[in-house]
Amino acid sequence: MKQIITFLILGLSVCNDLQAQVDGVQKLEAVILSDSKLKNYASGVKIEKLTDSILRNNAISLTNLLAFNSNIYFKENGAGMVSSPSFRGTTASQTAVVWNGININSQLNGQTDFNTINTSNYSSIDIRSGGGSVQYGSGSIGGSIHLNNDLKFNNHSETRLKTGYGSYNLKNIGFNSSIGSKAWTVNLGVDYVDSDNDYKYLGTNKINENGEFHNLNMNVNLGVFISNKDILKLYHQSYMGERHFSGTLVGPSRAKYEDENFKSMIEWARTTGKFRSQLKVVHLHEMFKYFENKDKENYSLGKVNTILVNHNFNVRFNEKLQFKTILEYSNSKGNGDSFKEPVRNMFSTTVLLNHKPNNLLGYGVNLRQDFTTGGERPFVFSVDAVFDLFEHYQIQINGSKNYRIPTFNDLYWQPGGNLDLVPESSYQIDLGQNFNYPNFNVKLNGYYINTKDMIQWQPNITGLWSPINIGEVASYGAELEVKSHYTINKHQFNISGHYSYTVSEDLETNKQLIYVPFHKGNLAMAYNYKAVTVFYQHMFNGDVFTTADNLKGRFGSLKSYDVGNLGCRYTFFKNTKNELEAEVVLKNIFNEIYENVAFRPMPNRNFNIQINYKL
Amino acid sequence: MKKIILSLLSVSLFVFSCSNDDDGGEQLPLGDYDNGILVSAEGGPASVSYISDDYKTVENEIYYNVNTENLGVYLQSVGFNGDLAYIISDNANTITVVNRYTFVKQAEIKTGLITPRYITFLNGRGYVTNWGDGTDTTDDFIAEIDLTTNTVTGTVDIAEGPERILAKDDRLYISHKGGYNINNIISVIDTSDNSVETITVNDAPDEMALDSNGNLVVLCSGDNRTLKSDFVETAASITRINTATDAVIETLEFDAGMHPSQMAHDNNEVYYAMSNKIYELNDDASDLPITSVLDVADINLYGLSVNNNKVYVTNASFTEQSELLIYDLTNASLLETFNVGLGASKIYFN
Repeated sequence: MKQIITFLILGLSVCNDLQAQVDGVQKLEAVILSDSKLKNYASGVKIEKLTDSILRNNAISLTNLLAFNSNIYFKENGAGMVSSPSFRGTTASQTAVVWNGININSQLNGQTDFNTINTSNYSSIDIRSGGGSVQYGSGSIGGSIHLNNDLKFNNHSETRLKTGYGSYNLKNIGFNSSIGSKAWTVNLGVDYVDSDNDYKYLGTNKINENGEFHNLNMNVNLGVFISNKDILKLYHQSYMGERHFSGTLVGPSRAKYEDENFKSMIEWARTTGKFRSQLKVVHLHEMFKYFENKDKENYSLGKVNTILVNHNFNVRFNEKLQFKTILEYSNSKGNGDSFKEPVRNMFSTTVLLNHKPNNLLGYGVNLRQDFTTGGERPFVFSVDAVFDLFEHYQIQINGSKNYRIPTFNDLYWQPGGNLDLVPESSYQIDLGQNFNYPNFNVKLNGYYINTKDMIQWQPNITGLWSPINIGEVASYGAELEVKSHYTINKHQFNISGHYSYTVSEDLETNKQLIYVPFHKGNLAMAYNYKAVTVFYQHMFNGDVFTTADNLKGRFGSLKSYDVGNLGCRYTFFKNTKNELEAEVVLKNIFNEIYENVAFRPMPNRNFNIQINYKL
Repeated sequence: MKKIILSLLSVSLFVFSCSNDDDGGEQLPLGDYDNGILVSAEGGPASVSYISDDYKTVENEIYYNVNTENLGVYLQSVGFNGDLAYIISDNANTITVVNRYTFVKQAEIKTGLITPRYITFLNGRGYVTNWGDGTDTTDDFIAEIDLTTNTVTGTVDIAEGPERILAKDDRLYISHKGGYNINNIISVIDTSDNSVETITVNDAPDEMALDSNGNLVVLCSGDNRTLKSDFVETAASITRINTATDAVIETLEFDAGMHPSQMAHDNNEVYYAMSNKIYELNDDASDLPITSVLDVADINLYGLSVNNNKVYVTNASFTEQSELLIYDLTNASLLETFNVGLGASKIYFN
C-alpha cells in the first residue's frame, strides 16, 4: 500500500510559476470526430493520440505500432500470429478496442487480435489509459484503444498509394483516397499484406515453419450534410485474413486459421443550437474457421453477428457545461461448433456530465447501468478532474468502477461453459501530472486497479476445464511519457519515449501475473533535414514470468530483450500536388534473440522497403 | 551448466565403472536417474522429474539438464524397453529416445507419427497409438516402429481415439478412449497378419493392465461430460477380458454418478481413483469395493501409480509446478510431497 501511495503522489511537489493557463479555445477545424466522447468527456483521463503521420510512418500492424509507441506490453504467438495486449498489467480481454466509438472486442473471447488491425485504415488512433466501462462498456479495464475515421469536410482530394517489400517475402500494397467538400466527404482505403514469414530461429537450425499469412483490409467512410443541421455518416470496415499458425521450438504446427470481421455503422446526427442528437445503427460480424490440419477440409467454426442501436443526446449549455445521455441496445447471436446458438441482449443507459467551472478546474461525472440477458446488471461510474494549476503544469485524476462480462466461450463452450459466471468487476484510481512546454511534454501517471471475480478456466473435479470466477488481482504502477521536438534552422529533431513500471499481482498468492513485465520502455528518435529523415526505434521488455509460481529460468520465465529498428526516409519530390518518398527500415538491427511468448522465437534481423506516392 | 558437467561426468564415470563391475559387491547405479521415480509432465514446457527411491535426490527438468534442449509438447507418456525410454510428445508428433538411466538422448522419431499417445513393445518392434488429427474421426492408426533404425515402418488403421496399448503374446490390445470424442471399444491386433478385431466395452476405456489371472483389466470411465448441453451419462465399469478368447468375462459396473478417473495395477490388486479417493479391487473379487482404502487430499488428481503398498498421485497444475504426493497404504498416510513439472501426469519406477 505504501508503494501505491508513493506512485500516486510521485513528484506532486514540483513547482512552477503561478500563471493561470489561458483557456485555449480551440479553433474548430472542419474535421468531425467519430467519437466526441474522447475529447469532451475525458478531462481527467490520460489520452495519447497517434496522428495520421505517425500511423503512416510506422509498421502497418497495430501490435508493432503500439509496442514501439505506447506503454502497452504485447505478447504475440510468433510474428504476425494472434497478438494480445496487457495494458497496465491487466489481461488480454481487459483492454477494449473501440472502432469509431463502438466497442468491437470479440463476443467469443472478449479480445481483439491486434495483428488483424491494419493501421493504414485509420486517421488517428487514441490510447486511453485507465477504466472506461461507463463510456465503452465491457472489457475497458486496463484501458482502451480507439480506432478513428474522422471525416474531413473541406475541399480536398488526396490519394496515397503505398507499396512495400521486405524480408520473408513480405509484400504489401494499399491505397487510401479522400475526397470532399464542405457538404460531403468520401474516404476509401484498401490494404493487402502477404508474407511467408519463414524467419530463422536464431541460435538454432530451425525456421518459423507454417507461419505464412495474408490479409485484406478495406474501409469506406462517408459523410454528407443533408441539411445545415443534419449529417448522415456511414462507416464500414472489412478484414479478411488467412494465417497458418506457426509452430514453436517444441512442436510443429499444421494448423490454419481464417477469420473475417465486418463492421458497418450508419449514423444520423442532428445539431440544433445547444442540442445534438445522434442515432447510430451498427452491424458487427466476426467469424473464424480453425483448421487443425491445413491440408484437410474439416474445420471448427465460430461466428457472431451483432446488431447495435445507439442513441445519444448531448446538451451543451455553454462552453463550460455539457451533458450527454446514451441509450444502447445490442443483440448478439452466436453460432459455432463448440456451442449451440447463444444469444445475448444488452441494454445500457449512460449519463455523462462535464463541467469546467473556471480556468483552473474541469471535471466529469459519469454513470452507466447495464441490463443483460444473463441477468447481470453491472452498474458502473467514473469521476474525473483536471486541474490546470500552472501555466505548464496540469494534474489529471480519475476514479472508476469497470467490468467485463463473461464471453460466449466462457458461458457456452461445449463442454465446459459455465452459465453461473458473473462479470469481472474492477475499481481503480489514476493520478496524472502533465508538464507541457512548447517543445517538451512529460506525462507522469500512477494508478491502482483492483479487479475481482476474475474469470479463469481451470480443470474441475471431473477433469473438465471450466471457467469460474476466482481470484482478485491488484495492478499498480507508474508510467512516464516524454515527447519532445526541436527545430534548429532546417534540422528537426523528434524524440518520444515511454517507460512503465507495472506490478500486477494475484492477491491470494502475492505473485506477479504471467506475461506482465515489471519494466517496459521504448524510445523513438527521428532527425529530419530537408528531404532526408533518419529514425531509430527501440523497445525494451523486462523479464516476464510464464508460470503462476514465478519461477526463474527456462521453465518459468522469459528473459528481457531489446529490439531496435533503424530507418531512413527520403523524399524525392514534394509539391502541392505530388509527393514521392521511399523508406528503408532495418528491423531488429542487433539481431536480438528473443521470445515474447515462450518457445515462440521472434524474427531475426530483417529489412523492409516502402514507397509512398501521394497525388 | 554445472549440472550438465556433473551429469556428463557421472555418465563417463558410469561407463568406466561398467567395465569393472563384475568384481561382485553392491551394484552401481546405471546412471544419475537409476533407482528412483520418474514423473513426466505434459507441459508446456514438457519435462521429466527424478526423485530417488530414498527421496534424497530430487531433480526437475532432467532431460533439459542433460541434453540442453526442451522436449516437445505435450508429453503424453513414456514407454520403457531395455535400457531405453521412449518419450512421446503428442502435439510435436515426436518420440524422443533416451537412455532411461542417464537420460542422454539417443534418437528421435519425427516422421510418420500424428498425435502419438502411447507405446508398447513386441518382438523387436514398437507400436504406437496415434490419433491423427483430433478433429478427424477416420484417420487414427497404430504406427509400427523398427527399434533398430527408429523409423516408422508400417501402420494399421483403427477406430477413433486409440489410447493405451498393451502387448500379450503376439497380440496388441488398444483402448479407444475416443480422442476428442468418446469411444467404447478395445481393438485387438494380431501382429502376425495385422488383422483387427474389436471388443465392445463401456464408454471411455482408458487404463489397461494384465491381472494376476492373466486377464486384461480395463477401466472405462463412462461418459461424464456433465457440462455438455446434450450430455447423457453412461455407466463406468471395470471390465475383465479373457486374453485367450478375447471375450468379456465380467463387467463390474459403477452406479450412476460414479466415475473413476485413473487405474493402476500392483500385485493382485486393481487400484482406482474416484473423487479423490483410492479404491482397491482384488483380481478375484466380483464386487466393486464399497469403501476406499485412502483419502487423497483435495487436489487435481491427474496421475496414479501404485508400487509396493505406496500410492503415487500427481496434483496437476497447468499454470505452475505440479506436485507428486506419495502415500503409504499400510496406514493411509501422506509420506512425501515433491514439486514436479507443469501438468505432471505419469509416474514411472526406474
